[in-house]
Amino acid sequence: MRSLRRFLSRLANLATRRAQDERLREEIEEHIALQTAENLRAGLSPVEARRQAMLKFGGVEAMKQDYRAERGLLLIENLLQDVRYAIRSLRRTPGLTAFVVITLALGIGMTSAPFSMVDALIFRPYPVPQPSDVVTLVSTTHDSSFDGFSYREYLDIRGKTESYGGVIANSDIRAVGFSAEPGATPRVKGGMMVSGNYFHVLGVEPQLGRGFREDEDQVPGRDAVVVLGPDFWKHEFASDPAVVGRTIRLNGTGFTVIGVAPETFPGMQIWWHPDFYMPLAMAGMFSTNPQKNFLEDRDDRELNVQARLKRSTTLQQARNELAVLAKNFEREYPKLNRNRSAAVRTDFEMRTRGDDGNWKFIVVFVVLLLAVLLVACTNVAGLLLSRARTRTREIAVRLALGAGRFRLIRLLLTESLILSCLGGLGGIAVGYGGIKFLSTFSIPSELPVTIPFRLDIRVLLASLALSVLSAFLCGLAPALQSTRADLVNGLKSTDVDVPGRKRLWGRNVLVVAQVSTSLMLLTASFLMARGFQHSLLEGIGFAKDHLLMASFDPRLVQYNAAQTQQFYKLLAERVRLVQGVQSAALMQNPPLALEGFDGVAFVPDGFQMPRDRENFNATMDTVDEGYFETMGIPILRGRGILASDTAEAPRVAVVNEQFAKHYWPGTDVLGKHIRLDNRAGTPVEIVGVAQTIKYRNPSERPMDFVYMPLAQHPIARMVLLLRSSGDPLQLVKSVKDVVRTLNPNLPMLRTRTYEDLYRYNAVEGPRIAIEMVGTMGAVGLLLAIAGLYGLVAYNVSRRTREIGIRIALGAASSDVLRLVMGKGLVLVGTGTVIGLAMGFAVEQLMNSMLFNAGGVDILAYVIVVPSLFLVTMLAAYVPARRASRIAPTQALRYE
Amino acid sequence: MKEKTDVLQGTLALMVLKTLDVLGPLHGYGIARRIEQISGDLLAVNQGTLYPVLLKLEQEGAIASEWGASENNRRARFYRLTREGRKQLQVETQDWEQTAAIIARFFDVKTEDLS
Repeated sequence: MRSLRRFLSRLANLATRRAQDERLREEIEEHIALQTAENLRAGLSPVEARRQAMLKFGGVEAMKQDYRAERGLLLIENLLQDVRYAIRSLRRTPGLTAFVVITLALGIGMTSAPFSMVDALIFRPYPVPQPSDVVTLVSTTHDSSFDGFSYREYLDIRGKTESYGGVIANSDIRAVGFSAEPGATPRVKGGMMVSGNYFHVLGVEPQLGRGFREDEDQVPGRDAVVVLGPDFWKHEFASDPAVVGRTIRLNGTGFTVIGVAPETFPGMQIWWHPDFYMPLAMAGMFSTNPQKNFLEDRDDRELNVQARLKRSTTLQQARNELAVLAKNFEREYPKLNRNRSAAVRTDFEMRTRGDDGNWKFIVVFVVLLLAVLLVACTNVAGLLLSRARTRTREIAVRLALGAGRFRLIRLLLTESLILSCLGGLGGIAVGYGGIKFLSTFSIPSELPVTIPFRLDIRVLLASLALSVLSAFLCGLAPALQSTRADLVNGLKSTDVDVPGRKRLWGRNVLVVAQVSTSLMLLTASFLMARGFQHSLLEGIGFAKDHLLMASFDPRLVQYNAAQTQQFYKLLAERVRLVQGVQSAALMQNPPLALEGFDGVAFVPDGFQMPRDRENFNATMDTVDEGYFETMGIPILRGRGILASDTAEAPRVAVVNEQFAKHYWPGTDVLGKHIRLDNRAGTPVEIVGVAQTIKYRNPSERPMDFVYMPLAQHPIARMVLLLRSSGDPLQLVKSVKDVVRTLNPNLPMLRTRTYEDLYRYNAVEGPRIAIEMVGTMGAVGLLLAIAGLYGLVAYNVSRRTREIGIRIALGAASSDVLRLVMGKGLVLVGTGTVIGLAMGFAVEQLMNSMLFNAGGVDILAYVIVVPSLFLVTMLAAYVPARRASRIAPTQALRYE
Repeated sequence: MKEKTDVLQGTLALMVLKTLDVLGPLHGYGIARRIEQISGDLLAVNQGTLYPVLLKLEQEGAIASEWGASENNRRARFYRLTREGRKQLQVETQDWEQTAAIIARFFDVKTEDLS
């Protein structure tokens, strides 16, 4: 208590230092005056009386120091002193300071923008209270570690586990026909079906009205209630509080609005925010898998199940419990759950899942960015080092006067801390611009995709941490080195360079580090560009021009399965008759549309299954008879899908070449069968082999693919693709007319040319990525060149006198040139070798993560290495040339 | 050397408190005089060392100070004991007496007493 009080008054004294000094002076004066008076009374002469009084008082300065130490906080006082001094000395060299600040601002800013990306994709917690307690439960098999659960399984988990404070389930329904009024044409919005306890368990309080009650997801189809998302409420209802109680129409059914989710809860997902939430029991209204009964079938695994872990339960306990439960499922339902297990995954595990390419890209990106920051730091370190060297004398004087080495290092570090704080501020500005830039890439989609990058407090903190870190990275080495100066030599001349390996070593390391890092950066951006170009050149395997696309979902107008199939049949028949349509096709997903394909589980006939697995998986698409012709995908053997492949006909499938090679290498695949789901499943005959194309992205590796006829594998939401003879967009009106004759209320979704979609998904996205990496490479290289030039030039300028002596003694200017250049060459050479090794490592990393190019891209190195070499040689040449022209007289007078 | 200063500081603080307790508010010189009279040469040479101690006590809240007029009618800083200081003095007096008693007993012990 007492020491706290003392600390506080000391803190207060920092502000009133001057008044305090004055008080002490006055007290001392008074003390001595009183003592002198006393001495006078004792009979001493005035002069002697005062002298005795002073003697008795003792050393005034020593006492003052004690007094000050007692009064204030020495550490803070010294720090303030350091800061003041540092600012003064930085202002003496404004050019250098500006350069350092700009360099750091670029380095930090370039890192903070992508950090917001990493943060959004990997680290940002759920927008709920105690977000770290929320875990995700997944169903796992050999092929997939992130499957969902079925509704029945969810109920079992909810009833039979004890690790959780609550188990919730949700399912995205990305296409819901929404209309505020009964008569209006529905528009497509995105909703989410949730369990009745969803908001309650997450701890989310609606800002208006109420959340769901537990009993509202019990009876199928009974409770048509809906909770609106905050953004949807703002945009569709202009934040009208009277919306609670109103009835809106979702897929044609009236739903009563019971509440609005709070502003703080936009949704649990990163890329997508639901417009509204419906109870799971209303699943019958929405587009779930038409082949299954959502509420009854145990293998209709469409639910994302999450749970709030009890505080008293460890993750391991929850995992064990769920594993036991999954074993029970397997025993009770051997058919449906064979080889199916379950796992509890944390937020972080979910976001870094192996099948998601986003975060891998980000990791590559961040590694490159840290390299940029490193280059910036080495740059600044080099500059500070040269600055510290010109201050050798000043530092030597300070050391000679008794300043502690530690104290001096602290002073120098304070300077670099101030520099990097300024740089950090600039970096935040650069980062802000960068994030604005990132956010401008809108992703075209019927449902708005949210861009999660933003400059928030987390990013600011990260930038700050980076600044401090860079201060130490940049400042420590120069500070250590310059305070090691030899006092005698330091005091003798303004600029000493005692020939010693040790001192030069530091600077050489800097040069080598810069050359190698920027070489790595350049290699990386070059590789990305090349890999991308390569995959574009390779082609996608089908014709993408003259195609018009539009999606349909007849469930929006309450068609049942039979009506839906009838609609598609008629639609295809009629659009084929439209003037200008060469061919038409229906498919569940066009290739390269970036939407997930369905998977198919199968057992190839006559194939010896490994003991521990029941089936294989492949991606598939559901298509109609016009597909291969319209897309221009060649059928290599057999036939494509025919109109005769009806629901009544034997089931058939077309596979791609990759699939055929994979499962029946060397034999003819035609006539072979696959069985769906397991050995006892429905047999499907393979009737054709289509050429392998690009399905998910233009740089993917060849993948297995199966096509099934629409009539035998009915799907509700389909995409119509038309091949036109002229401009595809001119067909829009006639197609609309056709749809109107079938049902005037059915909306045509995402009507656009395929090329448009392709450009956006397959070209623009990667191009943005490459531009970003390219910018980084360029900035990194620019920084490196500036730094390199500075360092080499500085080295040469320090040797001016030596060079002068050499020339005076008869060295030719070419000798000098060779001397200086030789040094630079060695450094650049070393840097190049290390950079090549690092570049090679990065290439391996990128190949394994992003591209299928494989092998070493020699051209990248052939172009990158000599260009970097040239640049660095130039950086060495200019100062070397200047040095060789120095007139000896001038050089010798230099100091 | 350092330890000696610490002890000096500690005892000096106690002396200051006691002086103020007995004599009431005093200025620095007055306190120094008083301590000098009683302790002999402890402060004979370094009266100045008193001031850091006064500051420490003041910052701890044991004493308070204000400006007043000295006997030769000049501005001087007068120190007085606060309630907290009085408590502190009591506690420390007790501590000191205890310590002194223990130390005294140790010095009294002769070899034969221990055998």
